[in-house]
Amino acid sequence: MPGTTDHIVKSYDNELKRLAALITSMGGMVESQVALACRAILDRDTEAADRAVAADPQVDALEREVEQFVIRLVALRQPMAQDLRLIIASLKMTGDLERIGDYAANVAKRSRVLQQFPMPYTLSGLAHMSRLVQENLKLIIDAIGEADAEKALQVWRSDAAIDEIYDALFRELITYMMEDPRNITPCTHLLFIAKNLERIGDHATNIAELIYYADKGEPLIDSRPKGDSSSSAVVRPRTAEEGGR
Amino acid sequence: MTSTIEMSTVAVHSDAVLAEPRIRVRGLDFFYGANQALKSINVDFPDRQVTGMIGPSGCGKSTLLRVMNRMYDLYPGQRAVGEVLLDGANILAPGVDLNQLRSRIGMVFQKPTPFPMSIYENIAFGVNLHERLSKAQMDERVEWSLSRAALWDEVKDRLTASAMGLSGGQQQRLCIARTIAVRPEVILLDEPTSALDPISTLKIEELIDELKQDFTIVIVTHNMQQAARCADQVAFFYLGELVEVDTATQMFTAPKQRRTQEYITGRFG
Repeated sequence: MPGTTDHIVKSYDNELKRLAALITSMGGMVESQVALACRAILDRDTEAADRAVAADPQVDALEREVEQFVIRLVALRQPMAQDLRLIIASLKMTGDLERIGDYAANVAKRSRVLQQFPMPYTLSGLAHMSRLVQENLKLIIDAIGEADAEKALQVWRSDAAIDEIYDALFRELITYMMEDPRNITPCTHLLFIAKNLERIGDHATNIAELIYYADKGEPLIDSRPKGDSSSSAVVRPRTAEEGGR
Repeated sequence: MTSTIEMSTVAVHSDAVLAEPRIRVRGLDFFYGANQALKSINVDFPDRQVTGMIGPSGCGKSTLLRVMNRMYDLYPGQRAVGEVLLDGANILAPGVDLNQLRSRIGMVFQKPTPFPMSIYENIAFGVNLHERLSKAQMDERVEWSLSRAALWDEVKDRLTASAMGLSGGQQQRLCIARTIAVRPEVILLDEPTSALDPISTLKIEELIDELKQDFTIVIVTHNMQQAARCADQVAFFYLGELVEVDTATQMFTAPKQRRTQEYITGRFG
């Protein structure tokens, strides 16, 4: 963590540096996996899809490596205060990064299925969403490397915009499905893809919360502005008076 | 179901809300001759809870412990200015009866210091200074204090044997038994486990956890993990100043002062 002095025991500093390097390289790997997955859908790029899927086992392996390393650090160093927060945050971040990788692989797999369908409509909404998600992901991975709580906060705040686009996409895709039942299969895949991208954004905000906690020592407690209202889109849930359950 | 409910209601010591102070230290300065070892210390010690005092050697934590039962009175040239209020009364005031004070505020030292006499007499010796008890009452008191110090089962068949024959861990528990035998209100522990093996250390820590039901405890320790395990409140001292005092949880997860942070994470200097 910048701005602090080194530990008296040098090897402890080296271990923390190694932990940071593992997380950063995992972040880099996941970032490119998401980029490949987005290219796979938007450019109908099969090779990108294959590469995104192929990267997944490596990400999983890195997650296991981080987990084992953290267990070792906790057992042998008995970390306290900022070290403890950083180490525990790293353990949780690695889980978030792994999930992001899974979502990227899932997007890539769905892009292969989508290739079999004509696209009678534009994917500009999805393109916009994927751009925002990738921007946030890049920012959050930079924030991990720099332990920058302010940058993390910026990502945390901007997730609402992603949720809003997801909401709009949800409505748009349902409209296509209503227009023509032949659209149902590709649109369902697109819906899942949009949902996966939205989840990637959520994991980026989880990481933002972890960075903030590790740096400041207190959790980010204000409830984050959530823009996703797709759970009630198109059909509003009935209230009790209307006989809903 | 029952066990789940019990689990969730068990209070974890370090999460405890700090109790009302039993001892209040106000504006305390302490001098070894011309050397100032404590600089305007203000700190509260919560009733029937454990306060851990940490800091590098020479930071003043042991000095503060020694002030709290007027140990320094034994040495010329040492003097304290300010107030240490036990239940509101200043124990540093000139007229205070030191024998009575030390029966209210007991102390256990770093190295076990059994008297060269039997186990029974080790306990009875201190009690006889303050109270007139019959043989039966004394027997009862010896058993009570040895039981409270988790030593009774190990020594009940050899109470007349010399205390010097006990192991280091047993000797230290005997010293704790001797301290609580006079039924003090406050127990001061000066690195009580630094000369003990890990298992004996854990037994003492378990004992501290037990004893805080009845006594206000202040422990000086060089072992940060020990402070984390035992203490409800932790105070960090550096160069004669109290840098930070807070609940153990706050101190070990998110201390507010940079110097505390650097010390407890092993970055000092």
